Amino acid sequence: MRQITYNIHRYNEGRSYVQTYSFDYEPDRTILWGLQKIKDTIDPTLTFIAACRSAVCGACSIKVNGQAMLGCESKIDDITERFGSDTIEIAPIGNFDVIRDLAVDWEAKVNRLKTVAPWIFMKPEFNRDMGSRQTPEDFKKFVTNTECILCGCCASECNKLSANREDFLDPYVYTKANRFVQDSRDAAPMAHVNPAFENGLWKCVHCMNCISRCPKHLKPAKDISELRAVATKAGLSNKGTRHALAFRDDLIKTGRLNEVTMSLKTDGLVDSAKQGLYAMRLWAHGKINPLELVVPHKPVQGIKDVRTIVKAAEEAER
Amino acid sequence: MKYAFFPGCVLEGAAKEDFIATVAVAKKLGIQIEELEGWTCCGASHVQDIDPLGVLATNARNIALAEAQGVQLMTVCNTCTLMLREAKNELDRDETQRARVNNILGQAGLKYKGTSDVTHFLWVLIRDYGLNNLKAKVVKPLSGLRVAEYYGCHLLRPAEETGFEDFQIPTSLADVIKAIGATPIDFSRKLDCCGFHAVYPAHDSVMKMTGSINADAAKEGADCVVTPCPLCQMQLDMFQKEAKQYVANDKDMPIIHMSQLIGLALGISPAELGMTKRHMTSTAALNRFVGA
Repeated sequence: MRQITYNIHRYNEGRSYVQTYSFDYEPDRTILWGLQKIKDTIDPTLTFIAACRSAVCGACSIKVNGQAMLGCESKIDDITERFGSDTIEIAPIGNFDVIRDLAVDWEAKVNRLKTVAPWIFMKPEFNRDMGSRQTPEDFKKFVTNTECILCGCCASECNKLSANREDFLDPYVYTKANRFVQDSRDAAPMAHVNPAFENGLWKCVHCMNCISRCPKHLKPAKDISELRAVATKAGLSNKGTRHALAFRDDLIKTGRLNEVTMSLKTDGLVDSAKQGLYAMRLWAHGKINPLELVVPHKPVQGIKDVRTIVKAAEEAER
Repeated sequence: MKYAFFPGCVLEGAAKEDFIATVAVAKKLGIQIEELEGWTCCGASHVQDIDPLGVLATNARNIALAEAQGVQLMTVCNTCTLMLREAKNELDRDETQRARVNNILGQAGLKYKGTSDVTHFLWVLIRDYGLNNLKAKVVKPLSGLRVAEYYGCHLLRPAEETGFEDFQIPTSLADVIKAIGATPIDFSRKLDCCGFHAVYPAHDSVMKMTGSINADAAKEGADCVVTPCPLCQMQLDMFQKEAKQYVANDKDMPIIHMSQLIGLALGISPAELGMTKRHMTSTAALNRFVGA
């Protein structure tokens, strides 16, 4: 009889260990079915959370072979075929504190979610009698983001959170913020943008794990990008903003990046000077040429077209 | 086999050696690459944050320039690949956006048609050139060299934009390493992000990420790390000294461009691959192939 083996990363009262369970293969079963089978027939102490079994509640998110996914919608057949093995690694989702085994703590995460005021500040023209109507086009701008089920998969392998959770919010928090920023009925988009800006909006490292993990095919990294655009338009600025603006300046000026002036524009004179020794090292290895500070890059062939295009896009945005 | 070569800004600046090595390797293999005249910065994921429509349109121009030549657009930078592919995918999937962008391009007398694909040198070597053909060209197999395979995010994720291989279990780089006679070293951080794009606003986190990748490769006994992305190469190499302090690792780890490693196996001299003064760290094992 074909056996399926789960190596489960367990945790209980400060002790972490991996426990192996095997059970008879059955076709067309889910990863969650396997966990329940273990709990029912082998080890009732195995702890995990699950509720709807329909990829709606978001409770059963776990790491399967290193990748966060919903246990209830992930088929054992698909996983064994994809990874070429009947042995499957199961762990709690990453970047969460573990309560026990596969159950993670959401309490602190909910408090982080509240940071961006994930609720609507209704415009004054709306009331109980008139309702709060909007056009189908306006509805389309945010409706996808309402599909977030708070499963935490986007946060699990977020490389920025893994490096430091204190100065960056979980990706779904930015997604929730953007859901209200893009809602035409919201009277105070900056009430969501400002706290996002203050809490790591520009610290996303673009690892794209959030987009790759979301079981609802949402794009938290794109939400971060859209929030940055709104923040920048509102005049909020930091190193990240200046860095992006430096790229755009060069795109218009010559078509290509000038690494030396970009560093100055991003860091400012004082911080750039602090990097003096580092810059010398790069120079010594031929990585940068300080002459680029004074010798301007030659614009690319067709730069007039590029400028026309950027300007036309700007007008189209208005 | 002909491609319009999109080197990207970093190959004109801090990673000129990757330009030199890519051109040398392509020539040796008989892959025709010609730099796309008039290419502009892909936006590097930064312009996308503040002027998404503007940079979508300039990337549509980049692709349209390749279309006019009737060839695919080939990059060597993961981020250029992703930015150009995201633009292409958006324009190919969304007719309204395509019409809007073509209206913008029309003001400069250009049109995006969707006839040229955007590809990466690694994909060209595997999908178009073939690993067996690459293997047949190897004259100096890098036998005994333990090479940590480091992919870089933007060649793998998001999968719907990249689409070359399974983003969780990629093999392309390991396959190339094997084809040139070296030993691929699978290490736990091979799919991690080097942090390059946030080195200014998230400096400390990024140093930790960079340091952890290098330390993990050293722990697995790698002689060097190879990457198909010049941005990852720059991050893991240029910030290596500083990043070590964040993870208490004192081991040096050379970070080599994929094009350079292939070039060595094809018998191209280190000087012709821009390897004389530019790689900042070395190990004894690597020096057997590069020279001290």
